[in-house]
Amino acid sequence: MDKSVAALTPVVENSKDWQRISPIALLFFTERLIKFFVSNLVAFLPALYFGYDGLKENPQLGLAIIVGILLFICLTTFLNYYFFQYRLTQDHIEIRSGVFSKKHINLPFSKIQNVKLEQPIYYRPFNYTCLQLDTAGSAKQEAQIVALKVDFAEQLKKEILAQYSITHHAESPDDSAELTPEAVENEIILNTRSIADLVIHGITNNRIWIFLGGLAPFFDKIASYIVSTFSDFGINIEQLLTFSDKPMWQITLYAVTLTFLILLPFIFFSIAGSVVTFYHYTLSKVGDRYIRRSGLLTKYEVSMRLSRLQMVIRQQDWLDLLLKRINLKFEQANNVLTQHQAGAQNNRIIVPSIFAHQCAALVDDVYPNNQMMTIAYQRISKRFLLRNLVFILLPLYSLVTVFLTVTGKTQLLWGITPLAIFAALLIFMRWYRWGYASDDNYIYIRRGFFGVDYLCFEHYKVQQVKFKQSWFQQRHQLCSISVVLAAGAINLPFIKADKGSAMLDEILYQVESSGKSWM
Amino acid sequence: MQGTAFTNTSLTAESLPSLVELEFQPISAIYRQSNLIINVAFTLFLVTLLFVIQQQNIWPLSNDVADLFNWLMLVLFMLGGFNTLYAAFADKQKFYALRQQDLSYRSGLLFRKTVSQPMLRIQHVELKRGPIDRKVGLAKLQVFSAGGAMHTFEIPGLPLASAESIRQFILDHKDVNRHG
Repeated sequence: MDKSVAALTPVVENSKDWQRISPIALLFFTERLIKFFVSNLVAFLPALYFGYDGLKENPQLGLAIIVGILLFICLTTFLNYYFFQYRLTQDHIEIRSGVFSKKHINLPFSKIQNVKLEQPIYYRPFNYTCLQLDTAGSAKQEAQIVALKVDFAEQLKKEILAQYSITHHAESPDDSAELTPEAVENEIILNTRSIADLVIHGITNNRIWIFLGGLAPFFDKIASYIVSTFSDFGINIEQLLTFSDKPMWQITLYAVTLTFLILLPFIFFSIAGSVVTFYHYTLSKVGDRYIRRSGLLTKYEVSMRLSRLQMVIRQQDWLDLLLKRINLKFEQANNVLTQHQAGAQNNRIIVPSIFAHQCAALVDDVYPNNQMMTIAYQRISKRFLLRNLVFILLPLYSLVTVFLTVTGKTQLLWGITPLAIFAALLIFMRWYRWGYASDDNYIYIRRGFFGVDYLCFEHYKVQQVKFKQSWFQQRHQLCSISVVLAAGAINLPFIKADKGSAMLDEILYQVESSGKSWM
Repeated sequence: MQGTAFTNTSLTAESLPSLVELEFQPISAIYRQSNLIINVAFTLFLVTLLFVIQQQNIWPLSNDVADLFNWLMLVLFMLGGFNTLYAAFADKQKFYALRQQDLSYRSGLLFRKTVSQPMLRIQHVELKRGPIDRKVGLAKLQVFSAGGAMHTFEIPGLPLASAESIRQFILDHKDVNRHG
C-alpha cells in the first residue's frame, strides 16, 4: 500500500510556504458579496425607503452612495482575496481566510470525505475551478480553495481521495479490493441525460410548486393586475367568469385554459431550472466512487464513495408514473443545516428522469442483490385509515358543516365538501402506498400519495431507532417505528407491534455486531 | 475483530436480544419533585405578576384591559395547572435502560416512545446541568449521532454520579470499538 502512496504523491508538491490564489478569485468574491447583498435585501429595504425622499432632493448624494458602495465592494473583494491563503503540507491542507474574523482551517487529507469541483461560468475561459472539501463533521467545517487551475485541482483531488482510501484500507480489510491506482484512471460512464430528458424532468419535478408557494402572498395583487390589464384590452374577465348564464362545457373549457395559461410560465421556469442544473449530465464511476457532473452556467461536480451512501430513493410523482420516468437519488449524510440551503440540490447525487431498466441497473450497481422491485411489500394496518378518516377528518368536517349551517353560509359547503373528499382520497392513497419489507441485507420502504417512492437502505447504516405506541395502538397490538439514518428519519406508522420490534431488534443487532462503519 | 467485543452469541431471530425485554430503570425521583416545584412556582409567578400589573396604581389600566387580565389569569392558571399535572404523571413514565451495546430511553404518558441509541453510532456525549440541576445534584445526558440535531438522544434527571458513569461507559466503549 505504501507503494501506491509513492506513486501518487509526487503529483502535487508539498509547499511549505503560504500561497495566494489566482487574482481571478476577485470575481468569485465579488459574486459572493453581491449574492450576500441580494439575499439580505430585506434588511436594506427600510434604509432605502427612508432615504428615498432625501435622495430625490439632492441626486448627487445618490451618486456618492453608489460610488461608496462600489468602493466598498472593490475593497472588500480585494481584502478577501488578499487574506486568502493556502498551503499544502504532508497530508494536510491549511487555509487561512477572512478579513476581520480570521479563519484558519487545518484539514488532514484523511478526514476529507468528499471533494467537489465547482466551475462558475466566468472561470471557464481561464480554466480555473473552485475546490470544495467536505468533512464528516458539521457544515461549518467545510473548506474551499476559491481559484485553482483545473489540472492542479484535479491532481489535488486525486491525491486527497487516494490518501483517504489508503488510510481506510488499513482499517477495514474487507474493502481492500476496491481502489487500486489503475482503477483511478478508468472512469466508467453509467448514465447521461439528453436535453429531452431534462425537459421531461422540468415538467414532472415539483420544484415549480415550491415556487408557486413562495408567490402565494402576492396572488391577490397579481390577480387584480391581470384583471385590470385585460380590461384595458376590452375584455371583461368578471363577466366571462360569471358562470350562471353559460353552459357547463364552456365553464370547463375556461377552467382548463385558465389553469394551463397560468401554469405555462411556471412550467417554463421549471424546465429552465432543470436544464440549467442538469445540462450535460453524466453519472460516472471510478473504482468505488460515483461522480455526478452537470451544469449549464456553473459546472458542478459531486462525488461520493460507495461507503458514504446512506440510502437510495426511487422517486416517481404521479406525472412520472404517467410518463414512466423515475428520479433516482443517492442520499448521503446531510445534516439539517445544509439541507435547507439554496444550493442543496446541487450537492446530492440525483439521476433525473430515467427509465425503469436504467434505474434498476443503477440500484443493482450500488446495492447488489437488492429486491427493491420484486420483494412483497407488507401494507400498514387499516387502522391508519380508521384513525385519520374517522377520528380526524370526519369530526373536523362535521364541525365545519355544523358551523356553516348554523351561521347560514351553506353555499360554502360546495367548497368544503370536495376538499374533504380530496383529503380522504389522499389519506386512502397514503395508506395504499405505505409498505415495508426487509431481507438479510436491506430494508425496503414504499410510500407516497399519488406518486410512489421506494426507499432502500442497509441495516447497519442506521443511527438510532424509535418505537412508538399510543394507548390506542397498544390495545390493538400496533406500533409506529422510526428509523434515523444520517440522511434523515424514516417513519413507519401502524404496523404490527411484534413485527416492528423484531425489525428494530434486527437493525440494532446488525449495527452492533457487524461493527461496520456507517460512512 | 469486533466479534470479541460483542458478547451476544445467539444468532437465530427468535433469540436476538430484544428491546421488549429491556430492564428499565426510573430516572431520579428528585427530578420529578424539582420539576413539580418549578412548574407550580412558575405558574404562580406569572399569575401573580399579572395580578400585580392589574392592581397597581402607577399606570392605571383601562377597564377593558383589566377585564382582559382576569381572563388571562384564568387561562394561565388553567394551562399551568394542566401542564403541572401532566408533567407530574409523565415524569413518572421516564425510564432508561443501558445495555452493553446500546442506550434506551422510554417516555410518554399516552404516546409511549422508546428511543434506542447504539453506542457505535455515537458521535459525542454531553452532560448538561442547568442551575437547578446543579442545586439538586442532577444532570441531563445528551448523546449525538450523525442523525442530526433533531434526533439528539437525551436522558434527563440522572443523578450526577450515574450520568458520569454512563458517559464514561460510552467513551470507553468508543475506545474499544474505534472504527473509521
